[in-house]
Amino acid sequence: MTRPSPKEVKAMTDVAGVPADTEIATRIANSIGPAFDGFAPVAGTLPFDLEPASFLVVQAAKVSK
Amino acid sequence: MSTEPALMSLVAVANAIAEKKLSSHEVTRSCLHRIAQWQPRLNAFMAIESEQALAAADAADAALAKGNKLGVLHGVPLAHKDMYYEAGKVVTCGSLIRRDFVPKTTSTALQRLKDAGTIRLGSLQMVEFAYGPTGHNVHYGAVHNPWHVDHITGGSSSGSGSAVAARLTFAALGSDTGGSIRMPAHFCGVTGLKTTVGRISRAGAMPLSQSLDTVGPLAQTAEDCALLLGLMAGADPEDPTASTLSVPDYVAATKGSIKGLKIGVPTAFYVDDLDPEVARILDETIAALKAEGAEIVQVELPDQRQLTAACQLVLATEAAAFHKRWMIERPQDYGAQVLMRLQNGLAIPGVSYLEAMRWRGPALAAYLAAVTGTDAVLAPVGPVPAPTIAESDVGNGPDAEAVIQRLTRFTRPVNYLGLPSLAVPAGFTSSGLPVGMQLIGRSFDEAMLLRIGAAFQRATDFHAQVPKLA
Repeated sequence: MTRPSPKEVKAMTDVAGVPADTEIATRIANSIGPAFDGFAPVAGTLPFDLEPASFLVVQAAKVSK
Repeated sequence: MSTEPALMSLVAVANAIAEKKLSSHEVTRSCLHRIAQWQPRLNAFMAIESEQALAAADAADAALAKGNKLGVLHGVPLAHKDMYYEAGKVVTCGSLIRRDFVPKTTSTALQRLKDAGTIRLGSLQMVEFAYGPTGHNVHYGAVHNPWHVDHITGGSSSGSGSAVAARLTFAALGSDTGGSIRMPAHFCGVTGLKTTVGRISRAGAMPLSQSLDTVGPLAQTAEDCALLLGLMAGADPEDPTASTLSVPDYVAATKGSIKGLKIGVPTAFYVDDLDPEVARILDETIAALKAEGAEIVQVELPDQRQLTAACQLVLATEAAAFHKRWMIERPQDYGAQVLMRLQNGLAIPGVSYLEAMRWRGPALAAYLAAVTGTDAVLAPVGPVPAPTIAESDVGNGPDAEAVIQRLTRFTRPVNYLGLPSLAVPAGFTSSGLPVGMQLIGRSFDEAMLLRIGAAFQRATDFHAQVPKLA
């Protein structure tokens, strides 16, 4: 996973229906970029049959000390 | 008993009213007196309802005289973050957009406190739509830290932290999506409980991120938080995400010793790049817990930076989705920083958001495996004490996101994992600013955190310190 460029951000905000000009797109790219960088080691590595609801299963499991 | 009722803890004042040692009128008048003194300095209240509060106090006293006690908080005046819906009352959510919003229903958390007998002092300031960790609000002004009025309170429950610290209310509801209860607790020197996701119903609480939002109290003591949690927790037909797990006796849990408990201290991340005074206070906290009989063990946690990043992807996307209509129709009515952060969520592809959501289960399992053998993990709430209002007023400038991320570095991993965390006052800097430490527990094990927090507060008096009017 790579951080989106300002050009890509502009395209995404256009598609979302909340267009951003070039300056705002650049600011968004810089703001959100570190989150993409931080998550990069995980992105694309998750097993096929993993659902978001697995969180609730782990949360509800009795965990011994 | 203190000569000033407003200085008492929630538990103490509730008992005093129940035993008719104090009337609700006397208690409410004491709070209103302090509010009149402090509000011009702090800007902690959004609305002050003096006459209504005194009338409600008189009604509570009359009911008690007839033997009609509503509940354990009968006649106790409280104020809460202005994002909990109360039918017929304006709930601004700290925003211009909802400046005149009057809900038709009352939030479950608030209703359960009302059912226990609380009365309303007014409402408390907050960061616009609860989206910010500093306490700045361009529409209603910054809330000030009662320990140093030129410093921030932390956010987003800014008014809650400030008002509880200055003893203007005995407790206050906050909300914690990325640290919004623990940051104000840390900066203002009060106790704050971020609950497990699902422990308290979110029905009628303004949403920011449906996966991360939690309801919780800020108060003087862990025992106060335990009392409030016990009243609010539990299943709710109005919120299907609220857990159906039974509600333990949290107040009873606060009476327990911590002798023999194992408390983990992380070997990295939470101890990296700390302000020297925060590092000193962490060491002193460890020593105090050891003196109470706890065993301190080192724990090696999974990479917390990845959790922080995943939290940001989830929070930004969900917040943008909630706000999209207003971002199209009323962008000019948002503060610049809040709008900037909402816009960030537009740039996160659906696949990236869902990957962050899918990883939550394995990430929680990995964390729980890493802390096996411990009862809780101890860490600073933040790497620094409260910055000044001026130095943290970054608006939507180029450094804004970096400043926000630095402040919330130690709180966001906990939100992503949905875990409970209790922030307790743990010391003061040489310049007199409070510093808090957080105890991070297992899912739905708030009782353990409250037990440790209460034991720590029996051994220390940081939670009992009261800021003075300059």
